[in-house]
Amino acid sequence: MKLAVLNNCVPFISGGAEHLAEALTWKLREYGHEATLFRIPFRWEPPAKIIESMLACRLLRLPNVDRVIALKFPAYLVPHSHKTLWLLHQFRQAYDLWGTPFQSIPDSAEGRQIRQVILETDNCYLREARKIYTNSQVTSDRLKRYNGIESEVLFPPLADSRHFYCADYGDYIFFPGRITASKRQLLAVEAMKYVKTDVRLVIAGQHEAAADLAQIEAVIRQNRLARRVEVIPRFISEQEKADLFSRALACAYLPYDEDSYGYVTLEAYHARKPVITCTDSGGVAMLVKHGETGFVIPPEPPAIAAAMDALFEDRQAARRMGEAGIELLRSLKIGWDWVIEALTR
Amino acid sequence: MQKKRKIIVASSAMPFVQGGAHLMVDWLTRTLIDHGHQVETLELPFSPRWEDWLEQMLAFRLIDLSQHGDLLIAIRPPSYLLRHPNKVLWFIHHLRSAYDLWGTRYQDLPYSPEGLRHREAVMRADGVALAEAKKVYCNSHVVAQRLAKFNQIQAEVLYPPLFRPERFRSGPMGDYLLYVSRLTHHKRQWLAIEAMRYAQTPVKLIIAGKPEPGEEAYAAELRSLIERYHLGRRVTLLDRWIAEEEKITLLAECLAAIYLPLDEDSYGYASLEAHHAGKAIVTTADSGGTLELVQHGVNGVVTDPDPEALAAAIDELYRDRSLAERMGQAGQKRIAELGISWDRVIARLLV
Amino acid sequence: MRIAWFTPFSRKSAIGRFSAAVVRELARKHAVEVWYPKTGDPLRTELARVGFHRASDVDAQKLASYDLLVYNLGNHLPFHLDIFELSRRFPGLCVMHDFVMHHFFAAYYLEYLRKPEAYVAAMRRCAGARGARVAEDILAGRRQRVWETDEVAEYPMFEEAIRGQYGVVVHSEFFRQRVISASPVPAARLYLPYELAPIKSVLSRQQLGIPASRLLIVTIGHINPNKRVAAVLDALAESHDLLDRIFYTVAGPCDPGFLAELKSRIAKLGLEQAVRLTGYVDDQQLQSLLNHADLCINLRFPTTEGASASLVEEMLHGKAVVVTDTGFYSELPDDCVAKIRPQHEHADLAAVLRLLITDAGRREKMGRAAREFAENHFRADRYADHLIEFAWHMRGAKPLLQLADLVSQELQFMGVTKDMPIVETVSRECVQLFISGQEP
Repeated sequence: MKLAVLNNCVPFISGGAEHLAEALTWKLREYGHEATLFRIPFRWEPPAKIIESMLACRLLRLPNVDRVIALKFPAYLVPHSHKTLWLLHQFRQAYDLWGTPFQSIPDSAEGRQIRQVILETDNCYLREARKIYTNSQVTSDRLKRYNGIESEVLFPPLADSRHFYCADYGDYIFFPGRITASKRQLLAVEAMKYVKTDVRLVIAGQHEAAADLAQIEAVIRQNRLARRVEVIPRFISEQEKADLFSRALACAYLPYDEDSYGYVTLEAYHARKPVITCTDSGGVAMLVKHGETGFVIPPEPPAIAAAMDALFEDRQAARRMGEAGIELLRSLKIGWDWVIEALTR
Repeated sequence: MQKKRKIIVASSAMPFVQGGAHLMVDWLTRTLIDHGHQVETLELPFSPRWEDWLEQMLAFRLIDLSQHGDLLIAIRPPSYLLRHPNKVLWFIHHLRSAYDLWGTRYQDLPYSPEGLRHREAVMRADGVALAEAKKVYCNSHVVAQRLAKFNQIQAEVLYPPLFRPERFRSGPMGDYLLYVSRLTHHKRQWLAIEAMRYAQTPVKLIIAGKPEPGEEAYAAELRSLIERYHLGRRVTLLDRWIAEEEKITLLAECLAAIYLPLDEDSYGYASLEAHHAGKAIVTTADSGGTLELVQHGVNGVVTDPDPEALAAAIDELYRDRSLAERMGQAGQKRIAELGISWDRVIARLLV
Repeated sequence: MRIAWFTPFSRKSAIGRFSAAVVRELARKHAVEVWYPKTGDPLRTELARVGFHRASDVDAQKLASYDLLVYNLGNHLPFHLDIFELSRRFPGLCVMHDFVMHHFFAAYYLEYLRKPEAYVAAMRRCAGARGARVAEDILAGRRQRVWETDEVAEYPMFEEAIRGQYGVVVHSEFFRQRVISASPVPAARLYLPYELAPIKSVLSRQQLGIPASRLLIVTIGHINPNKRVAAVLDALAESHDLLDRIFYTVAGPCDPGFLAELKSRIAKLGLEQAVRLTGYVDDQQLQSLLNHADLCINLRFPTTEGASASLVEEMLHGKAVVVTDTGFYSELPDDCVAKIRPQHEHADLAAVLRLLITDAGRREKMGRAAREFAENHFRADRYADHLIEFAWHMRGAKPLLQLADLVSQELQFMGVTKDMPIVETVSRECVQLFISGQEP
């Protein structure tokens, strides 16, 4: 079968979704299909550009393609008679983030109009898909709640997990991923004000807005945490990430209301490390069993600090939880056999 | 030390059809990265059906990259329409049905008011894109002439180089001519076979390449030609995909390369490969862009597109191997003379 | 070109006769097929014909092989319903025979579809909030049905008929101006071709009952108030010194109520000797009357037609015609017809009638000029040539109109409203890219 994988793209920014799209394309070929990946640029600032990006997608054409697998808004709007969606998320700013500080579309007459268009378009075109999968129950629930559409959960595996390994359980909590307000690296840094042990924190990732990084650095400075908190403010390679995971005590991943469990969770488990996450981190909590494979705690710096300290003081517990984590993945069939079969059925 | 840039390399692609443009995009990207720049490669889908042109052109126009990167290099239509304040075109071809193929039997656009209007619309849109570019480069004089004639634009010729040409090597010279190319009618592998009928020396011919989708009948035609002229011992047809290593070996040991496309836009990577392997090129006077590279008697032989003339040229090379070798060496010089290098490409594109 | 020509084709339809004449000319150079709704008695013709019952019988495949689809529309629902519905599904070139299409759409929405809200919506599209209010008032019984009054000319609703088409042909310049201010679609004005219906022979004055010594003045067609017959009577009455010289024949069917009104006016003005109302006359009588006429009167106020077939007929007979200076009539050269100003109807009528009744030379000269103009312009062969020219131009406009349609539809499905910036952005981009080729 000739399959086109469609994703959106912001030039020079590459994150989990981009890796997944590439991995999916490679895996489709591994499983014997012809597959190609198209990344459609998406601009959402200023908000009027959202509509332009959407219309551009509607006017693109995909000849010589048997099926499309589309991952994100607005790429899934490109017309094709046989579309399967594997929704990584919708344009959340118009949905569950509307009414929160993260809505990004202004609450003006113009902004509300734009939001309305996004809703109507989704309601119209999501239904065109032959089958909709999502990456998490949270995404599926939102799709049902906001658009009245049914979908099936299909967990995204790691693109490649072979390079992750466990060296030992060291003295730092590792928090990888893009540095943005909604990923809340700042929360972990705030927690470091309250830790009682010598546990450290290592943050690594590209920042999107200069203000996000500046805020973190300010807190570190103001609380004299420079020796305890290390920030690597750039894109790190897969190998660097694997190495940082390998020696970490545990992983902290504290995003605000994430749609899915996050690749970070999978990576941590492949490195046999437990995961500290928050009760309001959304889908992440799905893959973290409190007390078994990590901790799910309120998004309060003192509580987070306590979890960090607990692991620092009991390395064996950290090891046990890490092992339980990888076992959980196996039991949930999070893997490419399952994904490829579902998407090409 | 050149400043590190953030560069978008943009192109279009018909899904699952990989043309020469894809290699150009890929190699340009890798070279830019090797030079320390940050590169985002964008290949957007494009349907070549004329009925779909206008809305797709509008789509490309609505994709706003003006806030990203400090340079956009656009390679294949209609990526020339993408908006960017610092846009450079490395123009490889037009939507030819509206341009040089208009009025020929390959026209594809109907000669109706609708077709005329499409043609006009495309030409106007191209005019906008060309005017917006900071600089317009193209891949051959053939294309430069079309730009001048149809769009009144003076484009600078910037020849696309091979990636890591050091992969190609010269080896002990064998007794065969080598034709490496996709099997398709206008590449005229059949003409090479016809020529072999008239060859008087024991020279051989190897034709290597995969048939284009839909051209399996052409491959069968070639095979039946070989049979009909009883050339089975002299002509070998490898109608399959040729791995790089195999191609490199075949080239290294050939007597010379033969390349006979009809009126092509540019010289083609196969010609460069031959010269990097130190081999002369046999071609015809109507091959188009290849003639920008091959000068008769210097780095190759240019004959009439006639089997007997070709046979004579081939025989001459067989009889005078030192001639073949001299012309092969001259090939490298010719490449340098034309400035076909990545350093030059980077220096020119990075405005 | 391969052309599908949609038209009513019954013997009773003037548009049918028009189509027969035009298609005959078109068929000399192009492959034309007449598509007609099978409602009773079709015209006999050698032209290639395809009959159909309902619009739903025709599908896209059947029409795929044509380069041009031409739809003839007029203000009469039974004749044009299916043709109209087809034009909606398969846009093409619309020939508008009537400026006022209100009767058609009132019947379409209210009687055929039985969707009063759709009538209101249509009136809103054509005439904005004001139009919608009028429609609502009519439906609520708060006002008289506008299509039964002269006010209908203010709500012609032709916009409904041409919506979404790729080209429009009309038969008068005033109508063309109205079309281009309502729509971006290319529009052309062509002169309405007219062929006199063949008759066996011309009846004599005696057979027609016209007094030998009097000048024959004729008004033909369906006699309704906007033909201004009452005004003519008033003007004639004023010229009582001329009354024994003239014989005014009003030849055409008339509603009984209005007929009674006219009769009583004639009696009151003492015009019984000079005026005759004939009621319906057949083709032979009509053409014979025109043959013998010394002068024709063909007034119209307000204008409801796209052009006037009766005027063309009179001009082809080489007669001087008194017309109202409005609509189609204004567009004719001043030496071919005698125009009176609608705001000074009485005074102008009296003056013009006196002039033309007393001056035979002027009458005849005008008649000759009228005939020459008619013979040169109202011709099927010219019509066919100009139509093809326009179709060629229209087809050239089609790709961008189709793009606009496509984008509009996409925006509509997205829920985008007219006031959002994307609408202006897109039209600006299209103009810049495909039309002007320049930075805005």
